[in-house]
Amino acid sequence: MKKSKILMITGSLLLLTLFALPLWNITLEAPQYPDPLGLDIHIDKLADGNNPNDVRNIDLLNHYIGMDRLPEDMLEFKIFPIVVLVMAILGVLAGLSGKPRLYLTWVIIMAILGVAGIYDFYSWLYHYGHNLNPHAILKFVDKNGNPMAYDPPVFGTKQLLNFTVHSYPASGAYTMMVGIVMAIWAFVTGKKEG
Amino acid sequence: MKSMYKNAVMALVLFAGLTLVSCNQGGSNNGGALKSSAAEKVFVAPGEYDSHYAFISGGFSGQLSVYGLPSGRLFKVIPVFSVDAEKAYGFNEETRDMLKTSHGYIPWGDSHHPDISQTNGVVDGRWVFINENNTPRIARVSLETYETAEIIEIPNSAGNHSSSFVTENTEYVVAGTRFSVPIPQRDISIKDYKGNFKAALSFIKVDPESGNMDLDFQVLMPGFDYDLSHPGRGKSHGWFFFSTYNTEEAHTLLEVNASQNDKDFIAAVNWKKAQEYIKQGKFKTMPAKYVHNVYSDETHSTISTTKKSVRVLDASKLPGLVYLMPTPKSPHGCDVDPSGEYIVGSGKLSASMTVHSFSKMLKAIENKEFDGEAYGIPILKFESTLAGTVEQPGLGPLHTEFDGKGNAYTTFFISSEVVKWKLGTWEVVDRKPTYYSVGHLMIPGGNSRKPFGKYLVAMNKITKDRYLPTGPEVTQSAQLYDISGEKMELLLDFPTVGEPHYAAGAPAEVVKGFSKKFFKLEENKHPYATKSEDDVRVVRDGKNVHVYMTAIRSHFAPDNIEGIKVGDRVYFHVTNLEQDYDVPHGISMIGANTSELLIMPGQTETFVWEPKQVGVWPFYCTDFCSALHQEMQGYVRVSPRNSNVKLSWSLDDE
Amino acid sequence: MKGLIIALLSLSVLFVSCQRTGNQQSSTEDLTKNTPKGQASVVDEESSPNILQLAIQTKDLSTLVAAVQAAEIEHVLVNAGPLTVFAPVNSAFDALPPGTVDELLKPENKKKLAYILTNHAAPGTYKGRLLKDGRKIYMATGEYIEVTRKGDDVYFGGAKILATVDASNGVVHLIDKVLVPEEK
Repeated sequence: MKKSKILMITGSLLLLTLFALPLWNITLEAPQYPDPLGLDIHIDKLADGNNPNDVRNIDLLNHYIGMDRLPEDMLEFKIFPIVVLVMAILGVLAGLSGKPRLYLTWVIIMAILGVAGIYDFYSWLYHYGHNLNPHAILKFVDKNGNPMAYDPPVFGTKQLLNFTVHSYPASGAYTMMVGIVMAIWAFVTGKKEG
Repeated sequence: MKSMYKNAVMALVLFAGLTLVSCNQGGSNNGGALKSSAAEKVFVAPGEYDSHYAFISGGFSGQLSVYGLPSGRLFKVIPVFSVDAEKAYGFNEETRDMLKTSHGYIPWGDSHHPDISQTNGVVDGRWVFINENNTPRIARVSLETYETAEIIEIPNSAGNHSSSFVTENTEYVVAGTRFSVPIPQRDISIKDYKGNFKAALSFIKVDPESGNMDLDFQVLMPGFDYDLSHPGRGKSHGWFFFSTYNTEEAHTLLEVNASQNDKDFIAAVNWKKAQEYIKQGKFKTMPAKYVHNVYSDETHSTISTTKKSVRVLDASKLPGLVYLMPTPKSPHGCDVDPSGEYIVGSGKLSASMTVHSFSKMLKAIENKEFDGEAYGIPILKFESTLAGTVEQPGLGPLHTEFDGKGNAYTTFFISSEVVKWKLGTWEVVDRKPTYYSVGHLMIPGGNSRKPFGKYLVAMNKITKDRYLPTGPEVTQSAQLYDISGEKMELLLDFPTVGEPHYAAGAPAEVVKGFSKKFFKLEENKHPYATKSEDDVRVVRDGKNVHVYMTAIRSHFAPDNIEGIKVGDRVYFHVTNLEQDYDVPHGISMIGANTSELLIMPGQTETFVWEPKQVGVWPFYCTDFCSALHQEMQGYVRVSPRNSNVKLSWSLDDE
Repeated sequence: MKGLIIALLSLSVLFVSCQRTGNQQSSTEDLTKNTPKGQASVVDEESSPNILQLAIQTKDLSTLVAAVQAAEIEHVLVNAGPLTVFAPVNSAFDALPPGTVDELLKPENKKKLAYILTNHAAPGTYKGRLLKDGRKIYMATGEYIEVTRKGDDVYFGGAKILATVDASNGVVHLIDKVLVPEEK
């Protein structure tokens, strides 16, 4: 089999690791949490990031400022697995076809989906951080007197009250990136082979 | 590329310069005051950990305290034999039975000698065993939960003092009686002591997995007083040594009458031989009533059982089971060195200390070098087992521990000092005063094959003017010495809880990994556990009312209860729903004739309230749990006995 | 590259030298020196006097007190005890062969003096009926000394008990002879 084909097929199969590995991780640090609290975002669920009961304990803290409980099911948790599965199959098919043009198309679709995914993630965080219970126990306002919002960063580090919040891609995102890079590489070598 | 290296070199040089500067600064600070050297050795910076744990017995407080060394900071007081209202120990429904004995419920005890479990002769940091002197009992404290996990009563025993030391694989925890008594107990004249009073040495088997204790057998001994004991180790593994006094068998004014004999004995018990005799069925099953209490971390409750009999081996009738080694003047301490060869007897009224040799003892037994017998038990010739004498080291020798480098350290009560001497040459190397009247001393791992000879803790009975005065009762204290050098160095005085009777210690790495953070809610098998706020309820059963309550930051569910009547007996079964480290909740009810509860995450505890007056009575969280701790409260409406108010409960009016 | 290695090396040398200075600074300082006489340094004017305080207050025991101080065994007489001290009065010391006391008070004889004085102390409280005729009492040195009774008089190792005073940590018997142990 041609090198480009192998690269393309392997690269798209790497997407399947997303069924096991988290896509993103949000970590909350505070002095009274020497073991920081963590939230792992998977394509199909939210999970304890650093220690057992992290999700439960984040909810417990959030209820003081009126945030919703972290969702157990969302529309995304149903759609994302299907999208990932379909993309993996399409990638394998593209690889079997051996047409570098299809590889590139796959990469472009992945990029579009990625941006869409991150936008969705952002809007969810925004909603989660702004849509506060009016009966919240603790109500803070910003400099302008508007109710304080608590949306964590999509990417990077941010101070929220007494917590330092870090939000970065997790292992699943990295394997997905490797997969995409392999597809690009397949496109390049495929062109040369062609 | 080249410039990158240049930059890197520059950065390193700069960094090196910085280290140099900071190093100099440290130097000038240290050099300025000579006094800071001892202070530095005990200073543990905020947020840093101590290097060693010390488990110091509370003596007459009945408790066990956990300290850090070298700082001497107190971390926790673990109630063992005495009630503790702070932790509801002995007050709540779950732990009340831990203090049950064949004499009924006893709220106080006298804790003495903690000893850490061992594997292959090295402390393993799993459990601490500790004895109660007054109503003979042995407790096992878990180093996962730092709570008392088990207490077993010892029958045929009185003044449970030569206890609770473990063999080198924790096969047994051993308990000896200080006072001899009629066995079995009966109504006879005290004057008939001689020959009629007997002593029992108890061998309690320890389950290697669970740690659960079971009284395997007792060795029946002549009516002496059995003062202290230690296991053989290494080559002497399989033997256990007990010091005795009152071999005169006096029954009154022991101060004088038990100090008449020139020599008492160290009794050497061959427990492997005892196991053979048990296998051969050469024991007698004697009726005996004793209580065994086990606390479960799953049901968060105590199961108490009463045992009816004990297997007894008679030392007077079974050859090879026990030998007596004459030891001058009422030996108190009976300490075995890390190699297992030397057994140090500290005749507390003797001017010198006697050291026996285990290998010479075996040879003397083989050659039958006997000097008569006591109640059928062979007495070995004094010279035959004698390894050496430490001449005139001080006045009133009590206890000896070892540093694993060939040195022994003995405390002297009357001359109030610790004396360091060399095993084998018996020469005194160093002495340091204690303040004042030292009893036991502890070197972490000092009762094992592998002592960690860096620190020595001396535990004093008297402090007089050492601390700010606090009325007629002043603190007792411990003193920390650095023993890593040739000479001992006093580093620190620190006050202790109760009487620091004895202690056990170990490096932090050996112990700290076992510590639990919280109890898993899904593993909670308490019969009255409530694992979700959806399940809270109040159930009436005649005059008994059971409240299935939960606590989580920052409310109780339910927090409004109506329909309780005067004369009811209300059980508050409160489950802490938290699953996070260090978030206990407390609860107490106005007028409850009991202590608060202090409930760990995932745990269920119960207190009883018997309302006597009509009205609306509040309860609240007693442990500052969260920012809204002050809001964590609720009400119970109490109606007259004949009222028709329906039983109801709610949270947020739902 | 060479520069890098040199920098690393010099860095490690600095680090090591820094460590060494740290060790040198842990020179020992004797915290026990603050209380040279141990428990005998405790100032307490209110409690009933212990054996040492009693001896100091008794004029007729001034030679004994001087000897105890010379032997530096004050702390033995102040601990919780209980102790029985047979305290020779001044005239008992005077009755010793001339020069004996001066000889014993010399620093080089400190150990011998301490032994003789310790031979006047017994663990336990022996007084009244407990001083039975023929009872051998075990002294802190390991020697035994016998009690004899002649009529109302009590003798201890041949010395007559002149008076008995209770102390907070035991009892003091004033005696008319020094109990010199047999030479070993």
